[in-house]
Amino acid sequence: MRYAIVGFGTAGYHAAKAIRAGDPAGELHVYGDTGLAPYNPMLTTYYVYGKLDRKGLFPFGELAQLQEQLGFTYHHERVIKVHAQERTVETASGTEPYDRILVATGATAFAPPVKGLEPEDSFLMRTVEDAQRLKDRLDRGDVKTAVVVGASMAGIKVVEVLAKYGVQVVLADLAKTIFPLAAYPEVAAMIEGRVAKRGIDLRFGVTIDHMETVDGQKTAFLTDGTAVPADLVSLCIGTRAATAVVQGEVEINRGIVVNDRMETSVPGIYAAGDCCEGNNLESGQHQIIGLWANANRQGRTAGANMAGCEAAFEGNILHNITHFMDMDFIGFGDNRIQGEVLETGSPDHGLYIRVVLQEGKIVGANILDDYRISGIVKNYMLRLFAGEQGKLPDYQKAMLLRSGVPEKFIDKLEGKLHG
Amino acid sequence: MSRLAIDLDMSKCVSCGACAIACMDQNDIELDAGKGPFRCVFDMEEREGFSHLSLACMHCVDAPCIVGCPSACIHKDPETNLTVFDTTNCIGCHSCAMACPYGVPSFGPDGKMVKCDGCYVRVHHGLLPACVKVCPTKALRLIDLDAPAEIPPEHSLRQRSLALLERQV
Repeated sequence: MRYAIVGFGTAGYHAAKAIRAGDPAGELHVYGDTGLAPYNPMLTTYYVYGKLDRKGLFPFGELAQLQEQLGFTYHHERVIKVHAQERTVETASGTEPYDRILVATGATAFAPPVKGLEPEDSFLMRTVEDAQRLKDRLDRGDVKTAVVVGASMAGIKVVEVLAKYGVQVVLADLAKTIFPLAAYPEVAAMIEGRVAKRGIDLRFGVTIDHMETVDGQKTAFLTDGTAVPADLVSLCIGTRAATAVVQGEVEINRGIVVNDRMETSVPGIYAAGDCCEGNNLESGQHQIIGLWANANRQGRTAGANMAGCEAAFEGNILHNITHFMDMDFIGFGDNRIQGEVLETGSPDHGLYIRVVLQEGKIVGANILDDYRISGIVKNYMLRLFAGEQGKLPDYQKAMLLRSGVPEKFIDKLEGKLHG
Repeated sequence: MSRLAIDLDMSKCVSCGACAIACMDQNDIELDAGKGPFRCVFDMEEREGFSHLSLACMHCVDAPCIVGCPSACIHKDPETNLTVFDTTNCIGCHSCAMACPYGVPSFGPDGKMVKCDGCYVRVHHGLLPACVKVCPTKALRLIDLDAPAEIPPEHSLRQRSLALLERQV
């Protein structure tokens, strides 16, 4: 059996491991355009901040070491096209056959052109190269002001980095609130209050329009007409699934559509990680849930099935934990769904929980500052989505109480959900 | 390689707290420095009766924290299959906590993850984990997942929570 993996991020790595576990003798070809071991895009800001050294960006070790462990041929080449009919992979140096292939090409940062913005002043935050560029620029010490566009999890981490370097930062987003895809407006307001106290200038409902030099100072003009000094601009607007290699070959929506075995619409072609749309357990719809743990599970599932073992990954819900500026924000589920709101705690006292209930399920939850209960809340949501009716067992309830969740709140929540 | 884990016989725990004291002693945990034992002991009165619990890492076979850690700090000890860690590259993101359905991972004053490692170094040397050794009612056990069950399934915290663990993704 000849296996191919296109893209060597964490999904590709986990697939390679699973293929090797299921088929120690198969021929394994990995195609990557970075020449690097798998890295974690989420770690990039930690590297720039100085919390991690460069080696720390590569959680599984160096490429040569992984090649030795897993026994694969690494092709340091960009794949141009996967030809489904012919079962071949095309690169600049030629075309090679495969029996089963995994597309694990990930996602790329999306950056619309900004008029007047010099390429040297424009920064993304996704790749190792992006991180190195920003670090090198900040280490020069000539950045005094910046605009970050995108009040996302990535955006706020870039803001945190810039603030550490003593840069005056404006954070702008077309949305009305911070973390618009995860935070309820009421919770977003609490977070915004805290971020503003750190000296970050927050601008919502606006984005960058263009750049101009005014009296020798590079200046960002926002869509509301205001002007702010910006020695650099960081664009953290979002990512797009990298699907070009199978465009026209397999079914693609926003990402490559896969089933719970990570099979695409074409036999022999699998997809995993940020390039694919798996199952959202809350909505039952296909959706890209671009998260590290998801990519790991999807990669592992794809690899196992490619090697002839049976594996399924049923999907996930939207979930995020972001630790920044000495606080935690945790968001679960779809924050657009309205329902009965239950809340407890206070934003000033180290624990705040807001859950939204609908038809016997927790359709969304926001938690501030208590990471420790987050796994239990997520588990409860997942069990309810799976149709289970069981209340919180004592060993979960005990840990919630220990973290300061009032018993009355737990009773009320269980009462609403289970009658 | 053995596949070991620590389990609690929920019918035998009396919440005496000896396990938490042993944990602090073994792991040199200083309460004054803002740290706490990895094992949490509960004595809860509920409508249906009482719950006596001693909770720490369950050393799950397919541990969600390992999959969730962005820096691959958590892994299985090759000799015992206990869930151990090296937090050199821990960034304090709390993803492991979000992954754990038992609420186990916590973070020390340095912002890095800490949790029960099953006293794997003791186990390598033929000793029991400190909490298991000291438990006066034999409620806590170091179990071999490939050997016949020592704790009746209806009393085993591990067995009773398996279905719940399987939901965690």
